[in-house]
Amino acid sequence: KLLARLEGRSSLKNLEPSLFAEEGSPVHGDVVEFHGPEGTGKTEMLYHLIARCIIPKSGGGLEVEVMFIDTDYHFDMLRLVTILENRLAQRTEEIIKRCLGRLFLVNCNSSTQLLLTLYSLENMFCTHPSLCLLILDSISAFYWIDRSNGGESLKLQEMNLKKCANFLEKLVREHHLALFATTQTLMQKSTNSVESFFPFKLQHETDTDYRPYLCKSWQQMVTHRIFFSKQCNSGNSKGFTVISCHLKRNHVVKRSFTVAECGVQF
Amino acid sequence: MVVLRAGLCPGLTEEMIQLLRANDIRTVVDFVSSDLEDVAQKCSLSYKVLVAVRRVLLAQFSAFPANGADLYEELKSSTAILPTGSPSLDQLLDSGLYTGEVTELMGAPGSGKTQVCLGIAGSVSLGLKQHVLFLDSTGGFTASRLYQMLRAQAEDEEEQAALQRIQVVRVFDVYEMLSALQELRDRLSQQVVSSAGPFKIVVIDSVSAVIYPLLGGKQSEGLAIMMQLARELKTLAREFSLAVVVTNQVTRDSSTGPLKPALGRSWSFVPSTRVLLESKEAAWEKATTQRVASLAKSPRQPTGIQVELDIG
Repeated sequence: KLLARLEGRSSLKNLEPSLFAEEGSPVHGDVVEFHGPEGTGKTEMLYHLIARCIIPKSGGGLEVEVMFIDTDYHFDMLRLVTILENRLAQRTEEIIKRCLGRLFLVNCNSSTQLLLTLYSLENMFCTHPSLCLLILDSISAFYWIDRSNGGESLKLQEMNLKKCANFLEKLVREHHLALFATTQTLMQKSTNSVESFFPFKLQHETDTDYRPYLCKSWQQMVTHRIFFSKQCNSGNSKGFTVISCHLKRNHVVKRSFTVAECGVQF
Repeated sequence: MVVLRAGLCPGLTEEMIQLLRANDIRTVVDFVSSDLEDVAQKCSLSYKVLVAVRRVLLAQFSAFPANGADLYEELKSSTAILPTGSPSLDQLLDSGLYTGEVTELMGAPGSGKTQVCLGIAGSVSLGLKQHVLFLDSTGGFTASRLYQMLRAQAEDEEEQAALQRIQVVRVFDVYEMLSALQELRDRLSQQVVSSAGPFKIVVIDSVSAVIYPLLGGKQSEGLAIMMQLARELKTLAREFSLAVVVTNQVTRDSSTGPLKPALGRSWSFVPSTRVLLESKEAAWEKATTQRVASLAKSPRQPTGIQVELDIG
């Protein structure tokens, strides 16, 4: 079992090199945040990553298993199947079903249920050594509801998400996973001049529409932050841009992609 | 926040609850996240019993993962595409309204949203002979207009039956809307097999009318209720394979900026598909029934496609 896990460890490097600022990413233990307003291609990128993972090695994929936690009820299975059909040389039902057999989906309806679900999923990670990608779409889904339930106390408001973040970190570390989570741009970027004096503000944060609002525990465990936005060229309505930042080493890279019938194309 | 109490699950006795409470473990989350060896020592309870209770509690309160292949099988048999009554709109939506999704129609007042909604209700009821739930929060639903539209398409006796299949509920605030949706949920959960055909669509005209009064004041409460409503709509769509159609207003960032949906950023993530309805430019002087529908957001098609509609 350990050998299987070690073998799985090197395979994520070819997941999608264009997404990352550094070669050799992602590695197990990485926590990647997709951030952006609606309609900027985050979900499409997730389908692209899932397809890369579940397609067998003979089809050019990584042949690993993926766990997808859907808090927004946004996941569109039919779209994923369309993408698979466009990428596989042989599109038989049999092969599609085998690919889909490597994908596990869970829906969560509240931050409490998310936390409890993470606890019960721990068992699955133990029994499935090739399950090395965990996707959470999105981690900001309960933000307003939690804020309202927590009343005046910021601590109470953030409590569930903080526990989720801490447990996610534990899962990622102990089971050698890579975690991809999406967060939605719910707030406008602050134009407050006081904030612009903040000395630790990284370069990428001033370029993009990013205003952190989730709890510190989450922000501190993110290793890569990728910003999605639409390209504003008048002729090209299908183009999107990603700005990818490796947070520890402060490397930033900007790339563009389009979305076609077969999914994301760089 | 479920509080632990005796009988919540087998093996959880009153004495256990008291011992746990003495050590600050009151809710299911507290129990599940604590170190059971530690708890076993402090409360002098059996470790094995605690582990068993934990397993049962998790099975009861957490969500269960499904396999992609199984889900695909299920979706193939339960997903339907409903006609909107207008062939050009169907084309814009890649054959029609998909069940399991929330579709948003946005437009300025007078752009034809209510008419399109009536058309959808009529088409599903008459064409597919299925039931429709129409939640009206603006008072814009007129049975006589719907009757007119049906008369134009149906044969003699059919329009009466079609009208009967459309249930209209007038709601004037978000709480009434939420309780109407709850009633729907209860009805659908209890339904075994209905002889009148499956229930597939909910039309809500409009969602901005009930949400607008909540936003702006004490910000987070209004937004929280809006997100509760959004969540309810999406889970209804998913769990019961319904198509949910909502209408929304439009705003602009500045006087020359592009039109965008009202209700703000958080709502913009909710619908899977968004269609903008506008009047045709040349129609300023005379009132026409010509409209232009453009695709603003879609999980399947490239955005920006436009079609012309006649809402007459």
